[in-house]
Amino acid sequence: MLAAGPQPADPAPADAPVLELSSVRAGYGRIDVLHGVDLQLSAGEVYALLGPNGAGKSTTLAVASGQITPSSGSLLLCGRDVTGVTPDALARIGVCLIPEGRGIFPNLTVTENLRMATFTGTSFSDVQDTVFAQFPRLRERRRQTAGTLSGGEQQMLAMGRALATNPAVLLIDELSMGLAPLIVDELYDHVRRIAASGLSILIVEQFVHEILGVADRAGIMLHGHIVETGTPTQIADDLTSAYLGRTHH
Amino acid sequence: MNKENAAEGASAGSDGTQSAKTMSTARLGELRDEVSKLKVTGGAANPERLAGKWGIGLTIFGFVVAFVSWWSAFNAGDFASLDRAAIFAGLGIGVSIIGIVIWIRNSLTRYLRFWVIRLVYEQREQTDRLIEALERREK
Repeated sequence: MLAAGPQPADPAPADAPVLELSSVRAGYGRIDVLHGVDLQLSAGEVYALLGPNGAGKSTTLAVASGQITPSSGSLLLCGRDVTGVTPDALARIGVCLIPEGRGIFPNLTVTENLRMATFTGTSFSDVQDTVFAQFPRLRERRRQTAGTLSGGEQQMLAMGRALATNPAVLLIDELSMGLAPLIVDELYDHVRRIAASGLSILIVEQFVHEILGVADRAGIMLHGHIVETGTPTQIADDLTSAYLGRTHH
Repeated sequence: MNKENAAEGASAGSDGTQSAKTMSTARLGELRDEVSKLKVTGGAANPERLAGKWGIGLTIFGFVVAFVSWWSAFNAGDFASLDRAAIFAGLGIGVSIIGIVIWIRNSLTRYLRFWVIRLVYEQREQTDRLIEALERREK
């Protein structure tokens, strides 16, 4: 409102990554968690960011969604430096985060949670149609309080709410957290279908076997650095040694 | 199941993959347009914090103007000077009020945001405890 004048948009190259973190250092207060992260997500690509707890994966997503402003480095969207843009502005233009722990409102019903997705201007009926088409189980439970849904259904609600906003970039934080393997497989089937629609997806996971067959590329994050990138199959073996504490330079 | 099979499964007809690419290209074009219209402050300025500083700054500036005008009113040699001093004093007070309103508005926004976040966390914990209690009762 009374901020410094907006910077004019420089013309971006047509083949620029849809999302890019360039030498990003970021953290919480005085503690930096990311120490120079470089990550590029191309259009239509599924990139899996893997690593143990505390590696900085969720912080990376927080930077990508605008919740944390980097202390140095840049966040670029389609080649334009958008560092410092507010998270709600990013959400409105289609950068959508499904946070760890689902991020649903537990005391609201499924229908009321979906109504929260109309902030982009999509009509409530379109939101419902989109979500119930993808996740028919939610239609049966539309009057149920979201907090009483099973973990998998809550994750479906979170994904459905995100998809209803017509995102261009989807950021998913630990889809499998706290869920049974069968439910995780079902959810990753949904992710495959979503990825097949051409959506660019950056997904954070602890375990590579969940994202094999979904991700196009993967990266291992350790201590705030991305130490290795490649196809999920290429880095699957290195992930085990990374978790056991072998340091990469 | 790889992405190509998923695309064929997701869309009927032989052009399923093509229609998915068309959809993604169109959405990408929309994203580029919207990104070019984004107002970006360059990352250095937090708009809310800047507005808060402006609020405090305007308040102090307004009081200074009002005080100086009030002081000059004592030394006014004629009614015209007195009128000018009175006008500037009024303007100074008006600027102070605007500054105070901006500061209060920003402070309230931050406070209410933390309040909502805390409310959400507390509700989640309450729901988790309720579910645990129900599960214990069922056992």
